Amino acid sequence: MTPTQPQTQVLLVEDNPGDADLVRLRLVEGQSQAKVHCVNRLSDALASLAKEQPALVLLDLNLPDSHGAETFRKIMKQSPNVPIVVLSGQDDEALAINAVHNGVQDYLVKGGFSGKQLERAIRYAVERQALLSALENTRKEQLEFKNRLLSHVSHELRTPLTCIHQYISLIADGLSGPTTVDQRDHLKIAMQGVSQLQAMIRDLLEASRAEAGKLRVEPRCINLGDLVQQAVAMMRPAALRKAIGLGAGIDADIPLVFADPDRVLEVLINLIDNAIKFTPPDGSILVNARMVETDPETVYVSVSDTGCGITPDARPLIFERLYQQPGPVDSTVRMGLGLGLFISRELIRIQNGRIWFSSEPALGSIFTFTLPVYSLAKLLAPVVIHQEKIRPSFVLIRVELTPLATTPRGKRKEVALQCLETLRRCVFQDKDLVLPPMGATGSAETFFVVASTDLERSTVMITRIREQLERIPGVNTKGALNLSASPIDPVPEAGPLTQQVQTLAAQVGASILQSMSGKQMYAKSKQTSDAN
Amino acid sequence: MPKQKILVVDDDANLVQALRLRLLANDFDIAVACDGYAAVATAQKERPDLIILDLGLPAGDGFVVLDRLRNRANLVGVPVIVLSARDPETSEERALMAGATAYFQKPADNDELLQVIRVSLPPTAQTANA
Repeated sequence: MTPTQPQTQVLLVEDNPGDADLVRLRLVEGQSQAKVHCVNRLSDALASLAKEQPALVLLDLNLPDSHGAETFRKIMKQSPNVPIVVLSGQDDEALAINAVHNGVQDYLVKGGFSGKQLERAIRYAVERQALLSALENTRKEQLEFKNRLLSHVSHELRTPLTCIHQYISLIADGLSGPTTVDQRDHLKIAMQGVSQLQAMIRDLLEASRAEAGKLRVEPRCINLGDLVQQAVAMMRPAALRKAIGLGAGIDADIPLVFADPDRVLEVLINLIDNAIKFTPPDGSILVNARMVETDPETVYVSVSDTGCGITPDARPLIFERLYQQPGPVDSTVRMGLGLGLFISRELIRIQNGRIWFSSEPALGSIFTFTLPVYSLAKLLAPVVIHQEKIRPSFVLIRVELTPLATTPRGKRKEVALQCLETLRRCVFQDKDLVLPPMGATGSAETFFVVASTDLERSTVMITRIREQLERIPGVNTKGALNLSASPIDPVPEAGPLTQQVQTLAAQVGASILQSMSGKQMYAKSKQTSDAN
Repeated sequence: MPKQKILVVDDDANLVQALRLRLLANDFDIAVACDGYAAVATAQKERPDLIILDLGLPAGDGFVVLDRLRNRANLVGVPVIVLSARDPETSEERALMAGATAYFQKPADNDELLQVIRVSLPPTAQTANA
């Protein structure tokens, strides 16, 4: 191999002119072809890297504006692909190892190397960095290829699956002639297989999305209690088939959380489904939603079972892809692909929550996840405070759009977004607050506006909102747009202002929950196939 | 009263046949096309009340068909329901933007599909084909 390539650009970061000259001298001695550009501060080095990437950085760690490990970290952050060789005044083995662990290519002690050694260190560092970059690129390409392959395979699998699905349902529905009870039972079993395959294909795609960080969530303000009730209702038939009790325990004071209702339901169903698989007949499963006193910003949801528990050696693996718990599973339970908990963990993580479990072999397991409370107070503060005081009166305006029931499913989201935009245009930005969509995406949409006005004047606002909303195509279907206003109790003018905002937020939150409860907020979920 | 007519566009002949049987059983008239070119030509000729459209088609994919339908004055109001094996994450929004009324991923639930067909169809009184 030839010595350093002609015109290798080296950025020398060195504040001591004597040391800088020594480096140049050594390079000449070592017959290096490197072209050296020298700066004496970290800030100058970062500016130079922003303009032009050299083949290598020769770096003194102690500069006028940076010291120690911090120096190479900042260079790496700016230019992760440029190799760094540290030139240090001190022979500090611990610092040297730390530097190499963090990705520095070499650590040379000033005065301790010959021209030949420096030339070689530079050349090898450049080669090693090139190899690392190539490896990283290959890794990315492979991930990309895997995702494309999965996407392609899932599409190709769906085509014949659709055919099977259609013809089984034609026969089952009697469209190909009369069938016997036995035949219909057999077709039902075949159809369960189709549903399961369909769920597996979906999980494959979701897992590859999770890996690529591409899972999508659409957070809204949701009442977690309703969602838990819905999940329990959906899974109860499956639990009953195994003679397992399934119940819910929901604290009375659960505030609104900010999360994607479909995704949270997916996680709940996955956890309950797993609990059913690993719980013997006559066992029980309980789903809890609760607050913890020391952590007012978080709601805790747990699914506890009286199942076989998780063995100690399985514990570190449980959230990994393709892991399947071996265990006393009876023949009526079909296993999935082992992707459910992996996907659930990612879904909770991207919604700023955590998920974990505790387990006692033979006694059962408890899976718990958290979701952040929707912080109404933070959003309200800028609009409700005026001249160091809370505004005198507030009204909660509720807008319910049932015409969406006649809007085809795919268009509902679009119409709902247009409504939200319209609402924002109808209010005063500095004294009214339009809250994000509430509840699940379904055939009805409910929006709330906290308006700094009194009940009498709010009628004007309601008229304006109604007029504007009715102009949106897809909304103007006769009279199925419901608007109502309710006053919020005034907040006593005592204590710190932030405390007053908190009190107001609590009242608004309670009003919203009250207004939402008893209503069918959650549409039939898309993901019922797992429940069969 | 004349039945409402649905044009089914899909290159999978077996699936077309299954859909045809199901829609006939639900009292619709059926027309079929198996590629993008035939989809537009058949729509012109048959004047369906609604179109069920696959996306992966020979001779002009579903998006091309949507585009062509939207540029024909006499077809612009015909609701189009996309029924495709493609991932909704990548195709649903694009199809809706291109003018589709709804998006279903295959295999779709038949009851749900029929329900959306019914709400998407214009009221029968206005559609009596002259």
